[in-house]
Amino acid sequence: MMTLHRSLRDERVWSFALVAPALLTVGLLFIYPLGFSAVSAFSAEEEGGWTFANFIKAFDLYSNDILFTVVIVSLSTVLIGVFAIAIGGYLTLGENLYAVAILKWLYRWPLFIPFIVAAQLMRTFLAKNGLMNNLIVGSGLLEPLQTQSFLDWRGIVITFVWKQTPFVALLVAGAMASLDRSMIESARNLGAGRLRILIEIILPQVRPTIVVALILSFVVMMSVLSVPIMINAQTPTMLTVDMAFRINAYGDYGVANALGFISYLMTGVVAWIYLRHGVRQGGSP
Amino acid sequence: MRKTFAEFVAVDDVDLAIPSGSFFSILGPSGCGKTTLLRMIAGFLQPTSGDILIKGHSVLDVPPNKRAVNMVFQHLALFPMMNVAENVGYGLRRRGMPREDIAKKVEDALVRVGLPGSGTKRISQISGGQKQRVAIARCLVLDPDVLLLDEPLGALDLKLREHMKVELKKLQHEFETTFIYITHDQSEALVMSDRVAVMNAGRFEQVGPAQELYYQPKTIFVAEFVGDSNKWRGRVAAIDQNRVTVTTAQSGRISGVAAGPCSIGDDVEVFVRPEAVALSRDGSALQTMANHMDGEVVSVLFNGAASRLLVRARETGDEIDVALPQTGEFNDLQAGQSVSFGWSDAQTKCFVIG
Repeated sequence: MMTLHRSLRDERVWSFALVAPALLTVGLLFIYPLGFSAVSAFSAEEEGGWTFANFIKAFDLYSNDILFTVVIVSLSTVLIGVFAIAIGGYLTLGENLYAVAILKWLYRWPLFIPFIVAAQLMRTFLAKNGLMNNLIVGSGLLEPLQTQSFLDWRGIVITFVWKQTPFVALLVAGAMASLDRSMIESARNLGAGRLRILIEIILPQVRPTIVVALILSFVVMMSVLSVPIMINAQTPTMLTVDMAFRINAYGDYGVANALGFISYLMTGVVAWIYLRHGVRQGGSP
Repeated sequence: MRKTFAEFVAVDDVDLAIPSGSFFSILGPSGCGKTTLLRMIAGFLQPTSGDILIKGHSVLDVPPNKRAVNMVFQHLALFPMMNVAENVGYGLRRRGMPREDIAKKVEDALVRVGLPGSGTKRISQISGGQKQRVAIARCLVLDPDVLLLDEPLGALDLKLREHMKVELKKLQHEFETTFIYITHDQSEALVMSDRVAVMNAGRFEQVGPAQELYYQPKTIFVAEFVGDSNKWRGRVAAIDQNRVTVTTAQSGRISGVAAGPCSIGDDVEVFVRPEAVALSRDGSALQTMANHMDGEVVSVLFNGAASRLLVRARETGDEIDVALPQTGEFNDLQAGQSVSFGWSDAQTKCFVIG
C-alpha cells in the first residue's frame, strides 16, 4: 500500500515537472503582464486604491477611437471572410487548372510580409500620388486632380484585408480540400451549380474552420500598431495608436492600460465565441 | 470511347450499347478503367475521343449538373448537414419544384425504398443499409434516364451486402430505370445484372449475360477473373475437330474444348471449374469421363455449401480444387484419404496463349 502511494506521488511530481516550464512561461509572459495591466487600469496611480478614473478618461478622450477600432476590425474581418471563401472556393471548385495553379501560387505571398512592411507598401500604393492613382491616371480613367488618397480608414481596411486574407484562405482552402470530393460531385450530379455547391454544401461543412480563422484574424488586427500609425495619421484612429501615444507622450500607463483592458474585452467577446464554438465541436477548438 | 491521361490509356476504344431499362454491370479489377468510364458517362470527365449517346442524343456538351444521369457514389456522399428528406429532395429543389410537390415525391421515394417516415432522421442516425437506400432514392426521385452505381456496396458488411444485392435488383425492376453498375466483385455483377462487361486494362474483354461469361469465357482473363478455376499450362498434342488433347508441364494429359482456333504445338492454358469435377471413392465409376485421375485429399476447406477439397493427383502431383458435393456422401472425407475424380472434356476450356 505504501509503495503504491509513493509511486502515485512520484508520478504526480514528474507530471508537474514536465508541465512546469510551459506553466512558467505562460505565467510569466502572459498571465502576469495581463493581470498587472488589468490591475493598473483600475488603480489610482498617485493616490493609490481602486478607481474608474482611467476608464472615464479613456472614454472621454477616445470613445470615437473605440468605435472606430470596432468598425474597422469588424469590417475587415467580414471582407477577409468573403475573400478567403472566394479564394478557397475557386481553389476547390475551379475548372481552369492554370488559373487554379496561379491563384494557389499567388495568394499566399502576403503571409510572408510583416505588417510594417505591408503598411509601407500600402503607403506607396494608396497615396494620392501613389502607384494605384498613377496607374489609373496613366490608363486615362481619371485626371490627376480627380484622384484621392486612400490613406485613411479605407487604407487600414485594405491593408488588413490584404495581409490577413491569405492566412484565413490557407486554413479555409485546406478545410475545403479535405472534404470528401464525391460530396461535391454528388451535389453537381444532382443539379447544383458551383456557387450553390460552395454555399450549400461546402460552407456548412467548413464553417468551424472559417469561424476560428476569422476570430484569430480579428484578434491579430486588434493588436496591430504599425498599420494604423503609418496609414492613418489622423483621428479617429485605432486603440493601439492611442495606447502608444498615452505612454510615449505622457507616460500615462493608467489610461493606456484602461484602453488595453477595453481591447481585452473586445477580443474577449470573440474569444468567448471561439471557446463556445469549441465546446460545441466536442471540446477541440 | 477513349480516355487518356498523358501517356496512360485509361479507357481504350470501348464501344457498347445498353438497352433501356436493363441492369448492366462493368466488372473488372482495380485500375482497369471502369470508374473512368463511369465518370465520363456522368460528365465529370470528357472522353479524349468518342461520343456518349443517351436516348440517341450526344451528351458530350451537357455539363454534369444538366445530364439526365444520376450517380450513387462509392461512399454514398450523403450530405451530413441535411436530414434524410432534405438529401432526397435536394435534386428536386435544384429543379425549382414547388415545396409541397417535393415533400410528396420525397415521401413517395422513401416508401419505395422501404424507408417510410424516415424523412426527419439525421444521416448519422440511420444504418449503412438505410444510407444506401437514401442515396438511391436521392437519385431515383429525379427519374433519371440512367442510374450509375460506383461500387456502392463496397463499404457494407458481408450480410448486408448480400441483402442489398437482392434489394438493388428489386429496385431496378420497380423503377424500370437503366442501371449501370461497376464493381470488382464478380458475385455482385453476376447476381444482379442482365448483362455484364468484363473490363481489363481499359478494354472490354467480353460482354454478355452472366451465364455466358461463366460457362463460355472467350478470353483467358475472363476465364480466370469470373468464378474460380483450376488452371494448367500445356501444349496442344492432338486436335479432333474442336476437341483438343493437351500435354501439361507435369506430363499429364487433359482433354478439352478449344475456346478459339488452335494448332498442334500451340501453348495453351486450360481451365476447369471446381464444381465441374466429379468425385468418387471408386475409380471405375469415373472411367467414362474424358479426364479422370486418382488422388489423395490434401485438405478439406469447409465453408458450408461452398466447401471445397484440395486433392493431389497421384500421377502428376497437380493440386486440384474440387467443390465438395452437398449430397452428404463425402461428409466424412478427411485429409490423407484416397479419392478418384474426373471431369468431362466439354467443361474444360483451352485458350491459346498470346
